[in-house]
Amino acid sequence: MPLVTDDLMAPDVMTDPHSYYRQMRELDPVFFNERWGGWMLTGYDDVVQVLRDPDGFSSDRMRFLARELSEADRQRFAPIFDVLSQWIVFRDPPDHTRLRIVLNKAFTPKAVERYRPRVRAIVGDLLGEIEGKGRMDVVRDFAYLVPLTVILGLMGAPDLDRDLIKQWSEQLGVFFFLRADEPRRREIACEGVTSLVEYLTPIVEEKRAHPADDLLTALVAAQERGELSEQEVIATCVLLVFGGHETTMNLIANGTLALARHPEEWERLKQQPALIESAVEELLRYDGPVKATVRWVKHDVTVGGKTLRDGDRALVVLSAANRDPQQFTDPDRLELTRSPNPHVAFAHGIHVCLGASLARMEAQEAFLGLTQRLPVPVVATDELEYHPAVVSRALKALPVEF
Amino acid sequence: MPTSQRLRITVDLNKCVGSTICVQLSPSVFALNDQRQSSVVDPTNDTAANILEAAEGCPLGAIVVQDAETGQVLFGARDAAV
Repeated sequence: MPLVTDDLMAPDVMTDPHSYYRQMRELDPVFFNERWGGWMLTGYDDVVQVLRDPDGFSSDRMRFLARELSEADRQRFAPIFDVLSQWIVFRDPPDHTRLRIVLNKAFTPKAVERYRPRVRAIVGDLLGEIEGKGRMDVVRDFAYLVPLTVILGLMGAPDLDRDLIKQWSEQLGVFFFLRADEPRRREIACEGVTSLVEYLTPIVEEKRAHPADDLLTALVAAQERGELSEQEVIATCVLLVFGGHETTMNLIANGTLALARHPEEWERLKQQPALIESAVEELLRYDGPVKATVRWVKHDVTVGGKTLRDGDRALVVLSAANRDPQQFTDPDRLELTRSPNPHVAFAHGIHVCLGASLARMEAQEAFLGLTQRLPVPVVATDELEYHPAVVSRALKALPVEF
Repeated sequence: MPTSQRLRITVDLNKCVGSTICVQLSPSVFALNDQRQSSVVDPTNDTAANILEAAEGCPLGAIVVQDAETGQVLFGARDAAV
């Protein structure tokens, strides 16, 4: 028996991943997990080294998955291969670079700052409905609605059905976030992807016929300039609605939980809203929405004194790096004024989250709104449940009273 | 084409995560150092417009561009400027 479980889906690991990662880091920060079939990296320096080395580590998940599957399965899962293989997150240079330069313009800190008033209004409207009620499920009533409303607005498709998109995104998430204990995860994801593509394709065509000042029109224009393929345009639309809300939703929910469990910090933020920027960075570090990301070794590389071989895969545990005591003083403490705070919640290197600035701004507005408008909430359940997944840190619900 | 304006370009290494956007947009000015973070190799070796676009493209807002003569901040966070 190993001293620490190698079951990444164990219930204790889902509930309290941070204790598990601490044990893992203390046992061996570069650990080969036989059960998962890959390396687990839990030390800050090793995580940063790998994330900043696209020559040594590939992100091309679909190519490596294709190698593992039979021809029949590759056909069966064609929808996820067709769409996800076009996603910037799963591509290596030079295609990654080309896509990133096209998409980056809409997501720079300066560009997203222009959307702040809209986000503030969305948050204000939602809280206006919530504040008199005395209770809410933070996930369903607030955390998912803020980012999904924002991204649909930016895309120029504000009238799309948010509940349908959430449902299909959850199906896609079963694969994307590595729900390793779900044998049908690829079938489920195919259903979600197919639905999203069918739903979004006419919207894209509409933008082609009637250009406007929005993100979808910008994608179509990039295609017409020859910078994106048609497949990349529709795949990127799916990525935007999916990536544009799932993770930010979890950032808002996890952060609200952290603040609810530290009432003095909630009050502090209420009294000192100027702390909001460093507060959001700390909430990202403390219990971020993405626990880990996967890379594939392109050639033998030394990490933490061990040799990772060509073709090996590595789970790069962002949440573990974010609580490495060699990097962060008192890492298990929530400290809203922590500075500097070089967390890796958005990853590092060329794949650093495209939407990081948008997510930061949305989270700033969400936590400002929550702390200004509501008293400290009390978590109204003894048993919080998380969606079982290796990659995401996602509460199923967060019932609170205030 | 080199810029006629003398610029002071600063990369905040506490913020830089090595996205390489600046290196892509202005490769004769920015390069990666041993830590794979951005460093300024030659602040004169591109147009001011390209350098400003590179600074603006940084997902972390880690780059500050100033007029070297006057110290005026042309792009970037004031608190990060030296």
